[in-house]
Amino acid sequence: MKVKIKQWNAVSVWQWDVPNDEVCGICRVPFDGVCPVCKYPGDDCPLIIGKCAHSFHLHCLLKWLETETSKGLCPMCRQPFETADDAQQQQQVEETQRLHHHHRRTSEV
Amino acid sequence: MSYQRRIMKELERLKTAPPNSHITLVEANDLETWQIDLEVNNDNPLYTGKTFRLQFIIGPNYPVESPQVQFMPLPARPIPIHPHIYSNGHICLDILGDEWTPVQTVASVCISLQSMLGSNDRDERPPDDERYIKHAPKNPKQTRFVYHDDTV
Repeated sequence: MKVKIKQWNAVSVWQWDVPNDEVCGICRVPFDGVCPVCKYPGDDCPLIIGKCAHSFHLHCLLKWLETETSKGLCPMCRQPFETADDAQQQQQVEETQRLHHHHRRTSEV
Repeated sequence: MSYQRRIMKELERLKTAPPNSHITLVEANDLETWQIDLEVNNDNPLYTGKTFRLQFIIGPNYPVESPQVQFMPLPARPIPIHPHIYSNGHICLDILGDEWTPVQTVASVCISLQSMLGSNDRDERPPDDERYIKHAPKNPKQTRFVYHDDTV
């Protein structure tokens, strides 16, 4: 029997790379759902992951960080909130500086 | 009130599954003002056998901003005697002010208050009680409490 495919629809699912049962600690909505101001999950309502490994909806966290009471701290652990990216970047900058420094030192000799 | 869904969830949970049997939601006619009965969950002689009434006012920016929380005097609902609780029901507790974070909930505040009472052995009001209640604002959040004593 020969089958000829005339038409097909691609269907896919996605989810954020966080444990399934986790909710945003600020709005208490699952991470795969949206923050209270957004309509569509995904790129429109992204997550932010801190260096401290705590995640929130970006929009929820920003609302908190805008307040004076937040003092820039993570709502979970009260450490200064830094994104994992910031930390990585900082490391890269330090690495480059070290290399640069090393390079200068060797060229001076 | 953008966090309405979270507030509704909290209310539902407090109704159906409160953190312990000494925390009872009495009334929440709207999503804004909640009345909760609180008892200690240990045998602290200062408070056993007594029930206290807490009032939470959930503002439009909750949970980014802390709720307004105080004890309410009612017949059979005294204001607990505690060195951080004023006789008008205002409470000097850091997590209700400077140390608030939005991962806290009405239930977690109740638990904190329960342990604040449960661990207290001083049968006294704050030293500045008389002066404070004379001029206290209606909303305790407008008071700049100084959290000077962490031993209680």
